[in-house]
Amino acid sequence: MTTPHHQEVVAAFEDDLPVGSGTARTFGDRVRAYLPAAVAFVAVMALWEGAIRLFDVQAFVLPAPTVIVRRFFDTAPVIWTAGFNTLIEAVGGLVGGTVLAVSVAFATVRWVPIREGLMPFAIAANSIPIIALAPIANGMFPITSQVPKMAVVGVVVFFPVMINTSRGLLEVDPDELELMRSYAATPKEVMWQVRVPHALPYFFSAMKVVAVLSIVFAIVAEYFGGSQEVLGQYILGKASLFVYPDAWAGILVASILGVTLYAVVVITERLVMPWHVSFRADTP
Amino acid sequence: MDARGVGKVFGDDDDRVEALRGIDLQIEPGEFISLIGPSGCGKSTLLRLIGDLTAPTNGDLMVNGKPPPKARVDRDYGIVFQKATLLDWRTVARNVELPLEVMGIEARSERSRQMLELVQLAEFAGHYPWQLSGGMQQRVAIARALAFNPSLLLMDEPFGALDEMTRELMQQEVLRIWAETETTVVFVTHSIPEAVFLSTRVVVMSPRPGRISDIIVTGLDQPRDEDTREAHAFFDKVTEVREALRRQDRG
Repeated sequence: MTTPHHQEVVAAFEDDLPVGSGTARTFGDRVRAYLPAAVAFVAVMALWEGAIRLFDVQAFVLPAPTVIVRRFFDTAPVIWTAGFNTLIEAVGGLVGGTVLAVSVAFATVRWVPIREGLMPFAIAANSIPIIALAPIANGMFPITSQVPKMAVVGVVVFFPVMINTSRGLLEVDPDELELMRSYAATPKEVMWQVRVPHALPYFFSAMKVVAVLSIVFAIVAEYFGGSQEVLGQYILGKASLFVYPDAWAGILVASILGVTLYAVVVITERLVMPWHVSFRADTP
Repeated sequence: MDARGVGKVFGDDDDRVEALRGIDLQIEPGEFISLIGPSGCGKSTLLRLIGDLTAPTNGDLMVNGKPPPKARVDRDYGIVFQKATLLDWRTVARNVELPLEVMGIEARSERSRQMLELVQLAEFAGHYPWQLSGGMQQRVAIARALAFNPSLLLMDEPFGALDEMTRELMQQEVLRIWAETETTVVFVTHSIPEAVFLSTRVVVMSPRPGRISDIIVTGLDQPRDEDTREAHAFFDKVTEVREALRRQDRG
């Protein structure tokens, strides 16, 4: 009985799995996987640099990458201080919005009236252009407070995370629920054994989106005023003084922060749900 | 299991479907009962009534001498669906341990090892469900259903999604497990040879409304093996069940 089973498993791998996926890759595989992206990046940078030199484009239209990178290093202490302050706002809003969103998502599963009464409003509220609230939020707090920025980010984060998590918790295979019923499992056990693991992929796909959005909305909220030592005000100030390479260096910091937050989410996802289909390895 | 005059109606006045009417059936401990019939005959509904996954509209139904909700809460039965319904995020061993965890039974890893040996999958304990073939997944589901030693095993077309060769192997396995564990089995199928090969009695059901039209005692020797499938007595019983099903069309 043993040998045929092994063959079945091997056959299943060959048929069902994308080649080269998962964790069992060699260093060479990894280099090959990232090579196209690296080549594309270098090519775009070279084209950009070349075009600016060739056509003698003025710095206020578009500075060359080398100029931006030079300003990035020259102004490092200032832009990273601004970047850190913006990061605090983004992460504060991200964490606050997520905690609230997950709590409400749990409540929608536990209490049907909350689900039926709240969800339509949640979906409607989601279509409000949230950034329009930024000036009003600013007015509610002292002028240099980071709280109104966190509030804007939190509201942006709340809806996608709440709606996605709630869907993941609710849209469970009915057979799995009947199985738990056949064990006479309590609602709490159904929640932790079935619903929560099922909701994790939904939760993380929302987190990947809002992690990047949190930086974007923190900066946009900063445009409406407040502390000067933040990326939004730095970029705004440099642009109004026509010091575009410095403004671009600020944008580079914002991009690095966005990518970093995204990477944190992706790594957490892998640690929390290594079983998921997107990470399946060639060998267990 | 003892059913007397059991009926089940789905929906309300405007849109009512009578799934079962006047079901009388007594199942003795240690029996292997198949429920067979065309789709819509209520065979799955009857199984779900026994498991208290749905409640009867009328009649008396007792499972192990108690009402089905009590039997369910007492964890008297294990169930296997057509889909294996394994939890993706648990290894094979931890899937088998799921009911033990829910029920607070100790020595779980020891028990899951025994169960995986019973279904001959011991070396796959650390694998994830997606790494197994359909037949192996279904064997894990059987191991899980039996992990807490229920006296009754309910199987709802468990091999419906498997190919014919795997199916016959699985039937052999189920008979072996049945003999080893002395569990009572209620097995829903729409395959006539499957029902005859496995069962001590085949319950033939007919649709609209779902009811029992015949109960056929197979009387084939135990243990059954590949030779049984080629014996005259086997073919005779297959013919008998087939004719019982055909009579419904005419009647």
